[in-house]
Amino acid sequence: MLCNVRMSAQTGIRTHETTGATLVQSLTQTIIKKLKSDPYFWLLFPLLLYVVLIAIYPLFFSFRISLFDYRLTDPNQIQTFVGLKNYIRAFKDPIVLISLTNTLIFVAGTVSIELLLGLGLALLFSPETKLAQFVRSFLLIPMALPPLVVGLIWKSLYNADFGVIPFYLKQLGMDVGRGPLGELSLAMPAVILIDIWQWTPLLMVIFLAGLKSLPQEPYEAAYVDGSSRWQSFIYLTLPLMKPTFLIAFLLRTVQSFKVFDTIYATTSGGPGNATTVLNFHIYTVGLTFFDMGYASALANILLIVVTVLSIIYIMVMTRRQL
Amino acid sequence: MHKKRSIIEKIILITLSLLAIAFFLFPIYWLLVTSLKFGRDAFAIPPTWLFFDATLKNFSDVLAQSKTFMFIKNSIIITSGTTFLSLLLGVPAGYAIARSKFPLVKNSAYFFLLLLMLPPVAMLIPFYLIMRDLGLIGTYTSLILLNTVFDSAFVVWMMRSYFADVPQEMEEAALVDGASHFSAFIKVALPLSVPGIIASALYTIIYSWNDFLFALMLTSPKTKTIPLGILASFSSVEISWGKMAVMSIFAIIPAVIISLFLNRYFVQGLTAGATKG
Repeated sequence: MLCNVRMSAQTGIRTHETTGATLVQSLTQTIIKKLKSDPYFWLLFPLLLYVVLIAIYPLFFSFRISLFDYRLTDPNQIQTFVGLKNYIRAFKDPIVLISLTNTLIFVAGTVSIELLLGLGLALLFSPETKLAQFVRSFLLIPMALPPLVVGLIWKSLYNADFGVIPFYLKQLGMDVGRGPLGELSLAMPAVILIDIWQWTPLLMVIFLAGLKSLPQEPYEAAYVDGSSRWQSFIYLTLPLMKPTFLIAFLLRTVQSFKVFDTIYATTSGGPGNATTVLNFHIYTVGLTFFDMGYASALANILLIVVTVLSIIYIMVMTRRQL
Repeated sequence: MHKKRSIIEKIILITLSLLAIAFFLFPIYWLLVTSLKFGRDAFAIPPTWLFFDATLKNFSDVLAQSKTFMFIKNSIIITSGTTFLSLLLGVPAGYAIARSKFPLVKNSAYFFLLLLMLPPVAMLIPFYLIMRDLGLIGTYTSLILLNTVFDSAFVVWMMRSYFADVPQEMEEAALVDGASHFSAFIKVALPLSVPGIIASALYTIIYSWNDFLFALMLTSPKTKTIPLGILASFSSVEISWGKMAVMSIFAIIPAVIISLFLNRYFVQGLTAGATKG
């Protein structure tokens, strides 16, 4: 009783807080009630539970680890709390800046060229002839291949001693030195070319779907008005394809940020740090040097960048649907 | 409908097509040729494209190693496990999102899309530590669990747009007749969505078969998959490009089959993420 009286005396100050808390509580309760009453929710529930356990929990775990100095190579496995030190270290790490620059060069180079070539391929192979269909199915192969295998094939093609590409370049009178992957100035373009080879067909597929869904009427009107093929491409196809272009751009940007296997197979980030992308740097810190705290901090920074990009992508996509 | 193309235009188009085909197919052709060459010919300068002594020696060498079958077996186990689990979890979830009227359930689709885009390295580091604490490094389980996160997210996204196109009238009729939502899903919606399920399955097969980074960190020598087997032909005393090529051919078989013979489903899967909101 006495306790209650004291409590109510204090509530004068706390009312605000308590009503806030009860509001949240009752809100969660109504949401849970509504979810439970939704018969479809139970079909979603197993996956939701799975994802929370297998994906969301590790991400929280990763945030915790990033606040600690935790090296797996330490025989005592001591975890020392260091606060935001790992994040501060990331901003001072010269390789982070290099790998960030490399990532941006890689993303910009691959995405821009792939978009242009992909549109070209889509236009080239869009007619519904038997031959175009046949060629299109062959062009699907590169993007279905394991990126590691693609990297290794190109590594042998680029090899300075017996590779096919340096051989023909030499025939053309070009000096290739230690091969495209071994030269500081050539390694990044060489890796970008591999990515272009593998992923341009994906953009072709997306653009083909986009071209197929274009309305026919504007083209008929333009034809009647006597416009040339080139004019209807510039004034009709390009503007009408803008939404597809934007989606493809964002999709490939997000994917291109994730590059790892190709780099691992070809250059391992070298020569020097010429092809070290952010992903590869995180892998090196975490899974070859086993400096887990710092690697987690780096991974979380990448996570935030990619999440922001993905949210932009999703917002653009949903706005298009409206 | 359009004006006829002139001869010059036609020649330009054909030349461009041939160039495109040559560019996209020569590395694959080179891989095939390398797998059929003797070691000395693989390094021959100038390179031989057509006329060389063909041999199946590389194939017989690789198939003589018991490890090869272990790599293939591991890849098959992990791929089928991932595909099964991803479909089991993802297909009902995709159906729920497509049919539910409740905004929280409906919009969870974007949560799964976001998940699909996470950088794998960011997920791998904490996952590796957790699996290490649980003693699951080097098991099929750890690899299947992690692959399923990304693959099931894709299945949800794909199946959601597929179920949205499946007419609801028959399910509603079943519900009126007293069927539960679950049996309406199993008996009515599922049989109508087989092509979508095939497309999702092909996608998960390709991605789990091709996975390298997760397998690199989460496998032990006994659970190594084909991509790691390919790297193994490098780490031995001599680098054998011929053997590497043979292992690579095993690695690309699903990709080639799916691209050439099941391309209708594959294209459906590829464009689902990009063109349907």
